[in-house]
Amino acid sequence: MDQDIETLRDEYLNQDFDEKSFDIDPDTTIEYARLCGETANRFLDKNDPDFQASPTFIASLSGGRSLPKGFPRFGIGMDAGKGVECFSPIKPGQAILGRTHLHDIYTKTGRSGRMVFTVSRIEFFDQAGTHLANADSRIVMREKAK
Amino acid sequence: MSISSISEVEFGVDLPVFEPDTSLETASKFATLVGWGGARFTDHEAARKEGLPGAMVPGILSQGYLVAMIHNWAPSAEVKSIDTVFRAAVIADEKHQITGVVTDINEDDKLVEIDITVANEKGETRVFGTASVQIP
Amino acid sequence: MLLDLHTHSIKSDDGRAKVENYCQWIKAKNIPIDGFVLTEHRQFDAESGYSDLAEKFGLTILKASEVETEYGHVLVYGVTEALTQAFDFASIKLSLEMVLEVSEAHGAVAVPCHPGRPRVGMFAHTEELGIPKGVKIVEIYNGGSRDKEDQIAIDNAQALGYLGIGGSDSHIVSHIGRCATRFDEKIENIDDLVTALKTGKFEAVTLKESV
Repeated sequence: MDQDIETLRDEYLNQDFDEKSFDIDPDTTIEYARLCGETANRFLDKNDPDFQASPTFIASLSGGRSLPKGFPRFGIGMDAGKGVECFSPIKPGQAILGRTHLHDIYTKTGRSGRMVFTVSRIEFFDQAGTHLANADSRIVMREKAK
Repeated sequence: MSISSISEVEFGVDLPVFEPDTSLETASKFATLVGWGGARFTDHEAARKEGLPGAMVPGILSQGYLVAMIHNWAPSAEVKSIDTVFRAAVIADEKHQITGVVTDINEDDKLVEIDITVANEKGETRVFGTASVQIP
Repeated sequence: MLLDLHTHSIKSDDGRAKVENYCQWIKAKNIPIDGFVLTEHRQFDAESGYSDLAEKFGLTILKASEVETEYGHVLVYGVTEALTQAFDFASIKLSLEMVLEVSEAHGAVAVPCHPGRPRVGMFAHTEELGIPKGVKIVEIYNGGSRDKEDQIAIDNAQALGYLGIGGSDSHIVSHIGRCATRFDEKIENIDDLVTALKTGKFEAVTLKESV
């Protein structure tokens, strides 16, 4: 692994760099589910006793920052993948807290230079502090040739 | 066939093919809903000016399609995790097909692993990943 | 004997397949391969052992690597501990000619993979960097190829006199066995594979239509 990436890993991995509260709006989660093609009432009907957001809804929530302060910008960031882990359903109508940290930093080759990948993880908690879900966002930055 | 119990799930079975609505209108509405209202998701011409082949379907919408496919197959399934790799852009207004196939069954924990892919009409994989779902 | 010479498991950063699930899949779906080689990205997975799975499922399971050079990605078969000390497998700035030369010196075989692919394939760079010395084999069928990538690989391999192998480049279970390599001799271990590659007794096959 390149030395500069090793240094960034030592400096930034697994340290929370953002905290943000999100109001989960029922109308938004319903429209989200509808556009995804969900047909189940628990995602589409506010009156369903098991009404909840679609499991991937949290992947659409962005923290105040996507990378820690001072983290180098290697190039324009592109979405390289998303991961979601669900521990408890997200209930619309409540506020949830998202705490973000860098979960991984690694590189791959590109024709014009390195591609630097970062994985930012937002951990979501309800107001009682229950860990509801994680959303991982993989961003690739194509570094310009030096 | 709609699945209601893990005992009905067979290793290697294909989930019913799901043809998502990848229209520019849907991609654009979705991007706006989640606050990603950039031209790359809403306007083919503007996306081409950015060097893209056309306006893209947001990656998380592709992920949403994959989960919807799973729920269509097993309505009571609870998605425990889903991990997708965006290999290439899913271009709006182009037909895509979503496929899923069962690649692991853990009857003790009632967990099923599913390989999921979004492919274009040429059969090229644009998005792939895996989902772990719990089925009663 | 048919072997898929290019697969990834969860040991690779973008791999999502467990090796046992590959084995189950091959048997359940009657995928017509007799085994596969795990070629994890930028590493040699020395610690994992798959002999029990190989025996249980009656498959040949071997380990190799996929490293990264200025000409794109390269599969290395016959990795030894000494070879892993000879260059940094995790580096993404390796020299292809060095990888070829050092691999050969350690009894291994290095094979540029998906050479027809933009950015990460060898033939995307030959116009700018020239034809590298020491290439004897390239991957001409890759399960993840798009558009004319395989045809570019085939045409260039033919023009330059390279032999061709095939591999699925699978990252998820259901993509294994899309491409493979047919060997005349039985391959039971990595030494058999390296010997067969060196003697040139093999041919690349694509199974994309049937798998």
